[in-house]
Amino acid sequence: MTTPNGESSAHNLGQSRIFTPEVIDDIHTKSELGRYRMRGFSMFKPIPHWDELMFLPGTLTRFVIEGYREKCDTRTVLGGRFAKRPLELDIPVYITGMSFGALSLEAKMALAKGASMAGTATCSGEGGMIPPERDLSTKWYYQVIQSRYGFNPHHLMLADGVEFFIGQGCKVGLGGHLMGQKVTEQVAEMRSLPPGIDQRSPARHPDWLGPDDLSLKIQEVREATDYQVPIQLKLGAARVYDDVRMAAKCGPDVIYLDGAEGGTGAGPHIATEETGVPLMSAIPEARRALEDVGLADDIDLVVAGGIRNGADVAKCLALGASAIAIGHSALMALNCNKEIPGVTDYEGTIGVEAGKCYHCHTGRCPVGVATQDPELRKRLEVDQAAERVYNFLHTLTLEVQMLARACGKTDVHSLEPEDLCALTTEAAAMARVPLAGTSYVPGVSEDRTLAEMKELLAKHVADTGNQGGANV
Amino acid sequence: MEQVSAAPQGGRYDIRGLAEPDATAPKNAVVSGSTAEFDAAELSTRQVNLELRRLVYGEGVTEVTVHNPGAKHSLSVGLLARCRVRIDGSLGYFGCGLIDGPEIHVTGRVGWSVAENMMSGVVVVDKNAGSLTGAALRGGDLVIRGHVGARTGIDQKGGTIVVGGNAGTLTGFMMQRGRQIICGDAGNGMGDSMYDGAIYVGGKVASLGVDCVEAELTETDREFIDRKCAIYRLDQPATFRKFVCGKKLWNYDNLEPNERKLVL
Repeated sequence: MTTPNGESSAHNLGQSRIFTPEVIDDIHTKSELGRYRMRGFSMFKPIPHWDELMFLPGTLTRFVIEGYREKCDTRTVLGGRFAKRPLELDIPVYITGMSFGALSLEAKMALAKGASMAGTATCSGEGGMIPPERDLSTKWYYQVIQSRYGFNPHHLMLADGVEFFIGQGCKVGLGGHLMGQKVTEQVAEMRSLPPGIDQRSPARHPDWLGPDDLSLKIQEVREATDYQVPIQLKLGAARVYDDVRMAAKCGPDVIYLDGAEGGTGAGPHIATEETGVPLMSAIPEARRALEDVGLADDIDLVVAGGIRNGADVAKCLALGASAIAIGHSALMALNCNKEIPGVTDYEGTIGVEAGKCYHCHTGRCPVGVATQDPELRKRLEVDQAAERVYNFLHTLTLEVQMLARACGKTDVHSLEPEDLCALTTEAAAMARVPLAGTSYVPGVSEDRTLAEMKELLAKHVADTGNQGGANV
Repeated sequence: MEQVSAAPQGGRYDIRGLAEPDATAPKNAVVSGSTAEFDAAELSTRQVNLELRRLVYGEGVTEVTVHNPGAKHSLSVGLLARCRVRIDGSLGYFGCGLIDGPEIHVTGRVGWSVAENMMSGVVVVDKNAGSLTGAALRGGDLVIRGHVGARTGIDQKGGTIVVGGNAGTLTGFMMQRGRQIICGDAGNGMGDSMYDGAIYVGGKVASLGVDCVEAELTETDREFIDRKCAIYRLDQPATFRKFVCGKKLWNYDNLEPNERKLVL
């Protein structure tokens, strides 16, 4: 086991590496609560992440593309396999499904408007369609989620894409959570639930259990929507290779993989920290699975989870994603975790400073994003917030283009694994790209060497056999 | 094996033969005024649905009879108009799902998830139904004259499910609203984790699920059961018991320490 630089390896009495002050505090809290701790936000523990990959731009081996002067295409088409109207996006990034309930009406509207300004899509999330969001979205996914809260076939007919939510990266294997404080009369009515209850959504779909039934469910929705729009399956990244193979055989147009770094509006802390695999490891596994079932060119791959900037997006594209969905970073564009002088008081109302808030589940969001409180909601001005969302989406796209051009690409979708190297052996093993300055890809290099040895041995056996040698 | 109208080619071919992106309506129905009938024996799922839609939306037909449905899956789904459909035979999985308005009569049996997410209308099945009957039902009446499998009315959000025979395990699992009338017996774990709504059982209940409790059957309940059974001409048992949500799981944090073991 490695010791971080500069850290003492002495075994000091009273300084446990296992029972740290934070762990002790966690036990104290649970002893008071009598249940698991709920929270919002993304992952808190360290996880191999995109920072551990670097680009290898063009120098002499390949020539680079001029910024602004030479085109670098960002157009993204999803679901052309069976859908009569594939989803056409101007940029390779869109806003993922986040429910009305978890988010305020204003937040949903601002995301929809900002995404439309950027020429990209949004998604209904759980909890049903809200007409203002649909009106403001030029491209809109409708989610078929386990709970089917507010699910309405008339709304299904308005969709530009249908997403089957099977799991999310942040808490793979669990259903949605919405605590009573956020289940207002309106939210409850849309979900056909009593107001004010703690709502723990089902983790399994009501009308199908496994891939065989899912195939038929997909057939049902395709029949109902007349094959007009793409069918997308959203999976939390776990046993990616097998899951993607099975998902592909269910006949979707698009598969969406959500990495463990993804966020949530409310989830048990233990599940958000302890389930799933990093997105970096999931994409190569998904590509391998699609290639092995012969559908790599037919089924599009959308990925999400912990995406912060254009470099993260570009790295996902390079590893084989067709599009990237963002959730939490789009909320940050709305003002999540931002102290607004004279308006918010994070320390006073939440108990933590801005930048460290994870209290989406309480419904007390100081910036009016993850709340249903009418007073707090007033703090989010839709048009201004929409412009920030647009600005962020546009910036992500500029950053992706910049890296793609530097790597000699005239289309962001031409980025490839060969454009990347890894800074750590762990990242190299997961992303299947060479460790920087070497040709070493853990696992892959060894397999290649073993295959060569087997080939040489087989040749040797055959050669000695042909010579009639005895006792070989 | 279902007929696949699109020739298998690359990514346009679905490995299970369920995707039929290029099919067209067969136009084999015999139309007589506002009624029509057609034979589905030689048709694929897609062709049956396209023909149904052509008749109801395009030709203004209000009564359609489908012969020989052959227990195909996903038949008669997504119909969002007032009309009458008679299915002369049995359906596979997801029959009559995602509908709003139609009155559908199935003379045979149905597989899993019949009338899932129905918004309004009536679906009557003369024989037995599989599991997940009326999953996420939001409105209308779903009547099964025979027996039903497990998890009937799972996630039910409205409407009424009437079962002439017995119901399997976990009937009304996570039910949110609406009513169920089970004339026969109900299996183990009935009403497990239900949020709201009511389940009326005429026969024996093997066991109740978590947070499901018995409530007093009122005159209004009795009248409701009588009326529904009369409409669909179902023989009903002499007495019914009513089961509802115990509401303990509504706010888990408010439970006393010893009550929290409820979910174990």
